[in-house]
Amino acid sequence: MRVSRLVMILSLLASPLAQAERLQGEFLLFSSAEAAGTFDRTAPVTSIQDEVLKADMLFSLQRGPLKLFGEYLVTDHEADLERFQLGWQMSENTLVWLGRFHQPGSVWNHEHHHGQYLQTSITRPAIEEWEDLGGVLPQHFSGVLVESSRPLLSTWRLRTALGTGVAPVITPRGLEPYDLVHPNPPHGELGFQARAALYSSEFSESGAGLLLAYNDLNAVGWPANATPNIDRVDMTLYGLFGTYVDVNWKIAASVYYAQANLHTATPGVDHSFVVGYVQVERRLRHELTAFARLEDSSGAAESRYLKLIPTFARARYVTGLRWDFAHYQALTLQATDNLALNGHFKDIRIQWSSALL
Amino acid sequence: MELGAALAMLRTLLVAVLLSLPAAVSAGPQTVVLVVGADSHVRDLDPIAIRKLFLGLPVFVQGALLHPLRNRSDPQLDPIFFQQIVAMSQEAYDRQILIGVNRQGWLRPQEVTDRKRLLELLYSDPDAVSFVWLRDVAHDARIRVIRVLWDE
Repeated sequence: MRVSRLVMILSLLASPLAQAERLQGEFLLFSSAEAAGTFDRTAPVTSIQDEVLKADMLFSLQRGPLKLFGEYLVTDHEADLERFQLGWQMSENTLVWLGRFHQPGSVWNHEHHHGQYLQTSITRPAIEEWEDLGGVLPQHFSGVLVESSRPLLSTWRLRTALGTGVAPVITPRGLEPYDLVHPNPPHGELGFQARAALYSSEFSESGAGLLLAYNDLNAVGWPANATPNIDRVDMTLYGLFGTYVDVNWKIAASVYYAQANLHTATPGVDHSFVVGYVQVERRLRHELTAFARLEDSSGAAESRYLKLIPTFARARYVTGLRWDFAHYQALTLQATDNLALNGHFKDIRIQWSSALL
Repeated sequence: MELGAALAMLRTLLVAVLLSLPAAVSAGPQTVVLVVGADSHVRDLDPIAIRKLFLGLPVFVQGALLHPLRNRSDPQLDPIFFQQIVAMSQEAYDRQILIGVNRQGWLRPQEVTDRKRLLELLYSDPDAVSFVWLRDVAHDARIRVIRVLWDE
């Protein structure tokens, strides 16, 4: 098995951790099992997997200000080193990471990552989907990430994140990020992401923010006679988001504006598109949580870029109910009406999820 | 100075005076105090810093990262921990810990179920911070009280 130089370099840099008198560690396991069925279907292909078993393993080792953090996800369909980061806690307010990380320009993934138990709904919004599940935005980068949280106006907090790294490439199968464990050159160019959000206090989850990202995506593996014959895609992304959380309610909303330009031998017009979603959760009695999510878009059907990934859902209506029981376990039932670029279908899913700390 | 802050200072002063008296003085009322080792460079922590520390967030004092130790040697300390130190329910606390580990690899505060073991850790680690009943450390010259967290 080839292992990338980046993994070896990070492991060597992390060796001071092994010399510690006081080395602290943490291990967290998110497990889930899900079954899904589709009906009323006109779309020839969907990105849905009928059954999925997942074990998402996180580890964290820390000595003083140095930290090694990783996330390895194993399912019955794949196994990936999702995150592998060497961190330096520069101060209370600032953490610098080197490695493979989730891009800070995704609102949903910055909050939940792959932690299925931590997200109320079974699925994530289409615009936030992972690359290997038909996602249209780059999510995994290998490079540098700087995260900061600073006081502002007495009790308020300004949380920022700046990242840069090797961006995914775009292939006939969709976006493919750089793989640390199975590196596969040639690969991507650099991408840049920035996020800034204001929260009412150090511990508040209610806040609002802005996102900005620029990615240059090389086209790899396209046949010479492909239409369009893509050389690369450059994508600029702007986003706004807001979250309100109290004891019984959570409301999260995001909107993204994207301009994706295809560099091809065939001339064409590249249209920008806008995608947004709002999810509302209401905590009920007996450890039940009802949720509903509306996703919609503008310009998605005209975008040459989105047509490269025709399973992308340009509108969705999601409803469901989650029951938390025992210790860190949940059962969730969810129904979705999907309007994808390649057709329409409905799906119903049931999921068991858990966390073991 | 606000009345609440003044009372807190007076309470801390009273504890300091009690601790300085000879061993014949009996332990005070039910009081939970924040403690460090006598060699520690930590002089005081405000309530926000204490809350951050026991939620697993990084807290630095004089360039050193503090090590929180959650005292689980007495079940009666658990409700005081949730109400006075982290100011949230156990369910909310557990979820915050999961979120912190998932997002940035935060570490849970080390949980210590044996009182003697807790004191040994405080003696040996100048960056360790914990909370105890005042009566357990009232005459221990190797432990320094830095704040009163709760009293009956």
